[in-house]
Amino acid sequence: MNHKNKKGFQISFAWLFAIIAGGFILFLAIYGVTRIMDTGGEITSAKTGTELRVLLNPLETGFESGRTVLLTMPVETRIHNRYSTSGNFGAQIIQISQKSYGKWSQTEIDVRFPNKYIFSDSIIEGKKFFIFSKPFKFPFKVADVIYLTSSEKNYCFIDAPERIEDELSDLNQKNLLVENCPAESVKICFDTVAFQECDINVNENLGSVKKQGNIVYYETDALMYAAIFSYRNAYEHQVKRLMQRTNELLLLYDTKAILLSDQGCPQDVNLFVFRSIVNNIQDSADLMGVANAANDVKRENDRAVCRLW
Amino acid sequence: MIVLYVDYGKKMVTKNKKAQMKMQQMIFMLIALTLFFVLVGLFLIMVVFSGAKESAALLEERDALLLVSKLANSPEFSCGGAFGGVKINCVDSDKIMALKSNINRYSNFWGVDGIKIKKIYPEESSVCTFENYPYCGEIILLTGSGTGVSNFVALCRKENIEEQIHDKCELARIIVYYGG
Repeated sequence: MNHKNKKGFQISFAWLFAIIAGGFILFLAIYGVTRIMDTGGEITSAKTGTELRVLLNPLETGFESGRTVLLTMPVETRIHNRYSTSGNFGAQIIQISQKSYGKWSQTEIDVRFPNKYIFSDSIIEGKKFFIFSKPFKFPFKVADVIYLTSSEKNYCFIDAPERIEDELSDLNQKNLLVENCPAESVKICFDTVAFQECDINVNENLGSVKKQGNIVYYETDALMYAAIFSYRNAYEHQVKRLMQRTNELLLLYDTKAILLSDQGCPQDVNLFVFRSIVNNIQDSADLMGVANAANDVKRENDRAVCRLW
Repeated sequence: MIVLYVDYGKKMVTKNKKAQMKMQQMIFMLIALTLFFVLVGLFLIMVVFSGAKESAALLEERDALLLVSKLANSPEFSCGGAFGGVKINCVDSDKIMALKSNINRYSNFWGVDGIKIKKIYPEESSVCTFENYPYCGEIILLTGSGTGVSNFVALCRKENIEEQIHDKCELARIIVYYGG
């Protein structure tokens, strides 16, 4: 006959209480540490984003045509390039995520700058980045546009016009090449080369750039580079932002013209038509019309007794 | 009605008292432990955030310093070719007055607390308005307090002297305020 032990397993209340309360405290501690680590990561992302904003300030050009700086990050970094067109100027939005213990940090922190225009892929990854800027004049200086590329990605300019080759040589940016291009580099062809061989095709006569089957239009070399280095959606929205700023500057020049007329200056420059065209721009395909109007006001300004710009 | 009298006995009562003591000890211990963790957590958060605050202040200072050195060349301030040839660190005074009248459209555009341009020579103390311009000494674009950083610029405008339009440039300082 089997005699079973009927006493069973007994836990005292003190033990039960200790286990529950101890578990709760441990959970709180682990949760707290995780939150602090996440916050630390977000702080680093925000800090890096703001540092990037600070670094972009010296890129404001005076009379020089273009300049490049190297940005080195301490760890593998992803720069997410976003934009917004709301408000008078829209905003450039940057999100930074960095690699930590083999994992990319998640961040929802946006670093916004309304006075910057960065053209790049939607996500740029690496430890070293090249930042190259160029003034966008339309016909007066509107902004310095910034091109952001990873040092890991090479761009090969094939059969580029002499002015572009000269400019790229002067810039001396390691990942922008005009000869001896590595096989895996992004090939940018100008007019003559067959399309199939190229990743990006630039048609200087039409003022268009074809990339991944999408065509965008440009005026001036500053926007040509912008179309080459950025993705279609970003390019179109940033062009819209540039036109927003053009419109705001036109407002300033309008007021300046009134002030100058008080000093006896004749109002030689009619900005009304140009402003209405700038206001009605839908996408980059409308740029040609804006450029024609810009040329008209440029001629008027060059001939004016009191130049507005 | 049945009334039950239970006699726990002396031994049982002592055991109960001992258990209660132990439970109280444990509760106090657990409260102390929780408080300890909370305090450590608060300390950590304080360390992390004070570092962030310091970094933010430092970045703000660097931003203002770099901005002030380049602000004169930005499209809203620069002379461009209005005074013959492209000049660097040249601020168009007429354009600044135009900017002053539209400054509400530029809220937080430069990310600083205040911007003003102060004439150094010839020295004048009055603040510029549309009534006294150009015979004034200080154009306040953004009123702000805090630490100021400055850079020397040429402040240029058109002036009518005996029915002739002339370019007139004066020495000025552009001051950017941050951390206010």
